[in-house]
This record gives sequence, structure tokens and C-alpha cells, in this order.
Amino acid sequence: MEYLLEVKGLTTQFNSKKGPLTVVDHVDFNVKKGEVMGIVGESGCGKSVTSLSILQLLDKAGEIKDGQILFKNINLLKKKEKEMRIIRGKEISMIFQDPMSSLNPVLTIGRQIAEIMEKHEKLPKPMVKKKVISLLNTVGIPRASEIYEEYPHRLSGGMKQRVMIAMAIACNPSLLIADEPTTALDVTIQAQILELLRSLKDELGMSILLITHDLGVVAEMCDRIVVMYAGQVVETADTRTLLRHPKHPYTNGLIQSQPHQSKGERRLKSIPGQVPTPDKFGAGCRFAERCENVMEICSSASPPLVSIDGQSSCRCWLYSDKEEMTI
Amino acid sequence: MANISKTLESLEMQTTLVKKQPSSLKLNFLKEIGSNKRARYSLFFLLLVILIGVFAPLLAPHDPEKPYYEALLHGPSKEHLLGTDSIGRDLLSRLLYGIRATLTAASIAVAITFTIGTFIGLISAYIGGIIDNILMRIMDVLLALPTIVLALAIVAILGPSLANAMIAVGFASIPGFARITRGAALTIKSSGFVEASRSIGSSHSWILLRQFLPNIGGVLLVYTTLFIGVAILDTAALSFIGLGAQPPTPEWGTMLAEGKNYIYQAWWLATFPGLAITSVVFSVNFLGDALRDMFDPKSMGR
Repeated sequence: MEYLLEVKGLTTQFNSKKGPLTVVDHVDFNVKKGEVMGIVGESGCGKSVTSLSILQLLDKAGEIKDGQILFKNINLLKKKEKEMRIIRGKEISMIFQDPMSSLNPVLTIGRQIAEIMEKHEKLPKPMVKKKVISLLNTVGIPRASEIYEEYPHRLSGGMKQRVMIAMAIACNPSLLIADEPTTALDVTIQAQILELLRSLKDELGMSILLITHDLGVVAEMCDRIVVMYAGQVVETADTRTLLRHPKHPYTNGLIQSQPHQSKGERRLKSIPGQVPTPDKFGAGCRFAERCENVMEICSSASPPLVSIDGQSSCRCWLYSDKEEMTI
Repeated sequence: MANISKTLESLEMQTTLVKKQPSSLKLNFLKEIGSNKRARYSLFFLLLVILIGVFAPLLAPHDPEKPYYEALLHGPSKEHLLGTDSIGRDLLSRLLYGIRATLTAASIAVAITFTIGTFIGLISAYIGGIIDNILMRIMDVLLALPTIVLALAIVAILGPSLANAMIAVGFASIPGFARITRGAALTIKSSGFVEASRSIGSSHSWILLRQFLPNIGGVLLVYTTLFIGVAILDTAALSFIGLGAQPPTPEWGTMLAEGKNYIYQAWWLATFPGLAITSVVFSVNFLGDALRDMFDPKSMGR
């Protein structure tokens, strides 16, 4: 199978006063061509840091310690900053959680999108303007030629996110990293944006790495899912398997925590406790404290990520004796 | 592509525009200056002063450096509208010619402050870390001295002359300006669009020039305008204590200094240069204030 993106053993540390904190710990996953891959987890699980690591956009405190990021079989971590700049935006682009702050307030919408094209494709100016307007049409912005001259504060949140998407797909990237693209938007707009992303994916043939904490979004969008907990991958599976037959107790807990009308229960279930901070990771399973099925071994040794049937994998002592270890 | 936009058009109800009129920054700006009373009047006054300075040879009734020995310390009269000084030079002519030295000195001083101050502030905010610390501690040390004292020290090293006075005033204002730039740039640094710009492959210089500068441009313009007022005062002050423009060059600060010796005999000698300085500085500050109100992008088009 040809992978567009393969992340192998990615380890990212942040330097703190108490010493280095491993925020992303040996994360492995891959994205196939034309597929939507979801990364799910609570806040503070390392989802965003993982995505920033792929583009090497971490600020000074963060450092990629180990691992490989193979994009089209080339290790991005071996690239120089200058070479990465060519990849960012052209090969891999990213949309962020908050469209309100992701646009420069003093530049017109048109200018901001045109900049990317001028940078990566070196087109003559009149052509750029034409292309930008057609891009704005593509992402469903009405009266695109008027919006071209408009400043960001005159657009609504949904419109801004559409502009961000237009910027992200301006150079036909093969991978789009969407870091919680709908979190800051209200529900009806969320659906529209997801719909837009899906149809763009089909038309442009790109892959999407969708980072979210919303299982509803995942169920709607993704082909496969990686569940992250405390900086580690705890389960990987295709969407259907993962949602119907979750293996890891954490995944199970997440699904249980979704509100459900038909159940008729008065209280929403939740996973007790909180994600441990990186300085409190113990020797055992990081989920042990919150786990319903906690066993004796859980607190003393960390379970390996084991492959279940070639397709999915799970990091839990409940399954680790059944199959051979992958790590 | 076409079918996507069609399907989405139907969903467009929620994501509507807040306002409809397209806007252009430059057009709006000129229009706003025109519509803002304070800005309009002060800009008009300043342009008038500059024009008078430029055409001083045509407008001045006498040679500013020619003494009329028959009219020493004469009060305002038909022949000398604003009177004459202790060696009989025409005060009005000297005032008009004084515009040149005063405003040139102030503009050059502000140009020095702006260029170097902006550079230091931007670099400091953008790079951060040790560089930021070193630069800002140097600025802090310089800030501990009042601008005028710092300028005095610089001019004492360079020697008294109008050119050295403007260099001194320019350099002495750098710490304050660098601090302001840095503060403004820091708020930009942490904003989402800088990260977004990095994620589409922008280089550092691109981010600084295209993302930082336009965003803090308004703040910088406002402070630059306000600094012009300060620079006029400071160069005049240096000239007043004899470290700036050297006599017989007509310069407002120098004229003020000459006038103070005769304040009891010839009130006009100190009053008119003082009024000239005050009114120019006032209108510069008014303009700066009005620009500050105008330059909030959120208030544009309102």
C-alpha cells in the first residue's frame, strides 16, 4: 500500500523548567492517498503538537527528538528550514481552529490568498487575481469579486474559515491538515464546512488529516481513526470498527460520553479524572487511573501497541497477550 | 468545482456578510482625514507652515540676518510687523526662515528615531529570547535618562551644531520608540495569522514585512507624528541652551533663547517664537491623536 504520509516513532519534547516533557511519545500512524485520517483525543493529548510537528511549526520550546515523518517517502525531518518552506502551503497545508485570528486584519482577503500563489507558483498578477476569485467561488463564497477587496473583520466566522480553506487549497496540496477546523463555529456552519472539505477532497484528490475531539465529526468524515491519549497512540482502526467495536477502554469511554437521545439516561456518562500532564506519566499504563478495567499489571508496566487483525491496533493489556507485539 | 459552489450557495444563508460596501484602505483614509475636524485643521495648518517655510524668501519682508541699527528692540510697527531684536533684525522674517531649520531638524530626528527604533523593536519582538533581553536591557538603561539629558550628552560629544542636535534628538528618542514597536509587535507575534502565514511557507523577512509592519503601521504612524512634536521641542530646547542652531541662523529655539534676555524690555522677542513652537507642536499632536482614532482597522468604514 502506498502511503502519502507515514509518521514513525515521532517523539516531541517541550523544555520546561523541570526538564524536558515528552508531549508526543513514539506516535505512529499513516495517511493513504485520498483518505481522511482522524486523530481523536481529549484536550492535552498531543494532537495539535503532532500536527505542528509534521510541518515543523513548533516554537522554540518544542523539539522533535526522535522518529521519522515520511511524506511521499521522503523524511521531512531531514529537510532544512528553507526546504520546509517550499513544502508548507504547496505540498502540505494547514487550517487552524480559530479562523477569527488566523487572518491578518489589515490585508484584504484577496491579497492574503494571492500571496501564497505568488510565493509558490510565481504567476503574473492578473492571472493570480482571476485564480483567487475562482478559488473563493470554489469554497462557496458568494460575490467573490467583492469579497476579494474586503477586510477580514467584515466576514462572519464561517466565511473566514472558508477563506482559510481557500488559502490552504490554493496550491493544490496533497495533504491538508485540519486542526479542529470546526470547533470555533456553530453547528450549522460546522456541517457546511465539513461538507465543503469532503467535496474538495474528492475533487482535488487530496488527503486530509483531521484533528478533532468531536466523535460526531469523525464519524461523518473519516475513513480511519487514530485515538491518542497522553501523547501516545492508544488505538487505530477504520471508523466503522472503531465506533462499533471500540477495543481500548479509553475509546469506549469517549464513545460512552457522547450524548444519546434514545438511551433515556438522565446523566451523561463521562470518564472520571483528567488527562495526566506529561510530568506525571508513570511507568504503567497512562490511562490506568481512569480505567474501568484496570488490572494489576496496568500500574507497573506500560502496555505495548499490538496489532489486532492487521488492520487495527490497540495499546492495552486486555489485548496484548492475544497477538504478537508490534513494538 | 462548479457543482460544489452551486450546492453551497443554498447553504449560504448563515454565512452572510456583516457589511456590503467594499472598502479601500487608502481612499477611506483620505476621506476620514477630510471628515475629521481636528485632523483636517491641523493637517491644513501644518501644510501651510511648511509652504511658508518653503517660500520664506518670497514672503519675508526683510533679510533675516540683516541688522537695522536704527531700529534696535523696536516693538511691532508697520515697518517691522513683529518688531526687531537686540541688533535690529526683523523678527517676522526670522520666524518665517526659522520654519526651515526647525522643521527640517525635527523631521530628520524623527526619521532617525523611526528607522532605527522600528528595526530594534521588530527584531527584538520577533526573535525574542536572549537577543530580546540584551536589546531591551540596553533600551531600559537609556530610558532611565530623560530624553533631553541623553540628547545633551550626545551633543556634548559631537559638538554643538544644528546637525548634531538633530542626530542627538533622533538617537535619544530611539529607546522609547523601540519599546513601543516591540510592544505592538509582540501582540502580533502571538496571533493566529502569523502562525498561519508560517504554515503556508512564509520566510522570516516576509512575515516581518507583510504581516508585522502593516499591522503595527497605524500605531507607528501615530507615535511618529507625536514624536515630531517632541522632536521640535527637544531641538528647540537644545538650541535654547546654545547646543543646537548657532546664531545668526534663524531657529525658533535659538530665537527664544535670545529673547529671554530682553523679556522685560521687549516682550515680543520671546513671545512670538514661543507661540510659533507651541502652535506647531499643538497641531502635530492633534493630528497624531486624530490619526490614532482613525487607525483602528475595526473603525474603518464606520
